Amino acid sequence: MDSAPILPSPTLACHDCDALYTAPAVAEGEKIICARCGARLFARWPNALQRATALVCASAWFFVLANIFPFLSLQAEYRESGMVLGGTVSGLEEHGFPLLGALVGVFMLGAPTLIIGGLLYVLVPLFHHRRLPGAGRLYRAILEARRWNMVEVYLLGVLVSLLKLGKLATLSLGTSFWAFVGLIVCLTAALSAIDHRELWSKMEGASR
Amino acid sequence: MTASKTAFDPASAAARGLAHCHFCAQVQPVAHAHCARCHAALHLRKPHSLQRTLALTLGAMLLYLPANLLPVLNVESSVKGNQQNTILSGVIQFWQDGDYPVALIIFTASIVIPIAKIISILILCRAAQTGRRPSAMTRLHRITDFVGRWSMVDVFVVAILVGVVQLGTVMTVTPGGGAFAFAAVVILTMLAAHSFDPRLIWDAAARRLNTASHRNRPDGAA
Ligand SMILES: [Zn+2]
Ligand SMILES: [Zn+2]
Repeated sequence: MDSAPILPSPTLACHDCDALYTAPAVAEGEKIICARCGARLFARWPNALQRATALVCASAWFFVLANIFPFLSLQAEYRESGMVLGGTVSGLEEHGFPLLGALVGVFMLGAPTLIIGGLLYVLVPLFHHRRLPGAGRLYRAILEARRWNMVEVYLLGVLVSLLKLGKLATLSLGTSFWAFVGLIVCLTAALSAIDHRELWSKMEGASR
Repeated sequence: MTASKTAFDPASAAARGLAHCHFCAQVQPVAHAHCARCHAALHLRKPHSLQRTLALTLGAMLLYLPANLLPVLNVESSVKGNQQNTILSGVIQFWQDGDYPVALIIFTASIVIPIAKIISILILCRAAQTGRRPSAMTRLHRITDFVGRWSMVDVFVVAILVGVVQLGTVMTVTPGGGAFAFAAVVILTMLAAHSFDPRLIWDAAARRLNTASHRNRPDGAA
């Protein structure tokens, strides 16, 4: 036990229960489940990085659309008020809740911006076997940001608000709303398509 | 590390001094301190996992009261008068209006999930000491970690209503202090679930097995 650890290479340790494995060869489309606790250790999709990059590009496009068109508009008694996607943030700030506004901004605008922009910065140069400065640190930040990306929770919030306001006024969904739905679908698919091990080994192999 | 050698399951990476990089999943000797591949700090276990988890959970429990007692939404309407909604009164209103699915969504996301989350984090901290039922507890941690974000839905509803309803004299909607406290509860429980290291449960389970099998030997672990 006291001798220096011998690394069967490559090794695989479960992030949930720390069981140690010798990494088996994984074919495309296969995944590895921890025999002890059932955690998913590794999944490899066919053409994972190409697929992820295409989906991230689509997400970026939807995200731009979602930010330039009106999100919701409301008509009641000859008055009409519209809201853009960022309106939820500025509304809270105007009413004296800047911190809450900033949090909502981080969850529905900041985190997706970091994830989409960061993934483009990391993934696209890999196709030219290049790695831009800071790509490793940026990818670590993306992994942390994933937990605070709550676009799908925000969508549920929109649906609840529609039902809450539906009796008081006429609501209509703008172009931005549908772009936002597209963003959620593409970004979720992109994040689940990325294969960490493949990405890190490509980054290691790429020239700076 | 010598003192805590018996704390780790012989089959685990930590027992061999190997750390799993949290960011890139590379397995390497913990003596390296930083991951060779992505330069993240290496630890056998999340540092001060239990203390951090318990402190964050305590904070969430304290804020849970103002989150539920203070209004989350103030509605001033020239037609219907002024109205202050707490989380629970919002749920009751949806239910009385016949919007049962919405009432159930908000009730689940804002009341059931935060309470269930706090309780399950406390159960997990206990399990990290006893080492009982490690598989089920790991699953509980996975669910707790996954489900927490959905509690934020009520905060988003408040933000959307405030943003969209600016009808001047007819109706004004402003956020209440409860919304802030509730957002803090959700964030604290998310951080608590994230700070918890499920591998501690397996360590405790291994210690349990160890003491059980070495009970009669003087050189046994304990
Ligand atoms: Zn496992
Ligand atoms: Zn690493």
